[in-house]
Amino acid sequence: MNEQHSEPRGSFEERSRALFLDSVDGLDFALRSRLTQARNAALDAATRRPSWFFRFGVLAPAGVTAAAVLGAFLWLGSPLGQHAVTVGNDGQSNLEDLELVASTDEGSGDAMDMLQDDIEFYDWAEKAASSGPAASS
Amino acid sequence: MSGFDTLNAAWMVRDGPAPAPEEAVLEYTRELEKFLAEIERRAFRMAQVALRDPDDALDAVQDAMLKLARNYASRPSTEWRPLFYRILENGIRDLQRRRSVRKRFMTWLPGAKEDPDNEAQDPLDNVADAAPPIPEVLMQGQAMEQLEVSLRALPARQREAFMLRNFEGLDVAETATAMGCSEGSVKTHYSRAVHALREQLGEVW
Repeated sequence: MNEQHSEPRGSFEERSRALFLDSVDGLDFALRSRLTQARNAALDAATRRPSWFFRFGVLAPAGVTAAAVLGAFLWLGSPLGQHAVTVGNDGQSNLEDLELVASTDEGSGDAMDMLQDDIEFYDWAEKAASSGPAASS
Repeated sequence: MSGFDTLNAAWMVRDGPAPAPEEAVLEYTRELEKFLAEIERRAFRMAQVALRDPDDALDAVQDAMLKLARNYASRPSTEWRPLFYRILENGIRDLQRRRSVRKRFMTWLPGAKEDPDNEAQDPLDNVADAAPPIPEVLMQGQAMEQLEVSLRALPARQREAFMLRNFEGLDVAETATAMGCSEGSVKTHYSRAVHALREQLGEVW
């Protein structure tokens, strides 16, 4: 059911509106003053609004940056982070450090010499053991 | 981005190219002040009709002003009126709900009958139900008092529709926005409100 109010405004509506507006005009001074105070408080809120936005605009990126720094610090400080690839102040990543260490242990000429020395030592030790105390002197 | 830039951007959304930031702030505030000054007394009286208590009515109006200024000031000024009344009606409903809960809670407590806030003790409650004797034509103040009593006796949605359409002069679309319902519902509520009020007050008016 949709009763539509299409009739022109009747005298009842006009009279009720006039009475209402009269009662609005009859509001006492104290109430008007309190309404004015309420309005001023609202206007203060409206004019403060940009500064709140401004503060939020500064604080939000600062918070994100702080969180990122903290996250990075925790990551690098953790055991997991120590194995991660990082870039040092001199622009060298720790991946390069790893290569240097690996090459020193396995691929360099010094390592081959040390291995050769070990083979010669074990060879001599075996011969000395089999030939007895006389042979060793 | 500075605060002025933010305001400037909001202004551009509203009204095209922005004036200088300081001018924008001034004009923005002036426009809102003008709107609130124009609307505040009627809004207060409408809240008072619904809530009866002038302090509660003032709280509701102040809250609506603050919310409009904080959250919707950047909207086009033509939208302010229905938005303001929507906020106000929501505030009034919240206050009425809180009162109702408090009233129920108070009835459980011993000595609840002495509660000064108990609405059942409001003498105005009895006026509509008691079919008061009607003299020829009531004086202005009495007539308004009768109207208020009759309005309070209406269902909330009918009262809202009548006050927004008739007292505040909102059109059907604006009233629908303010009430958060369809235009058809506004027409129905308004028509029923007028019919019920005429029945109650017809003899007086």
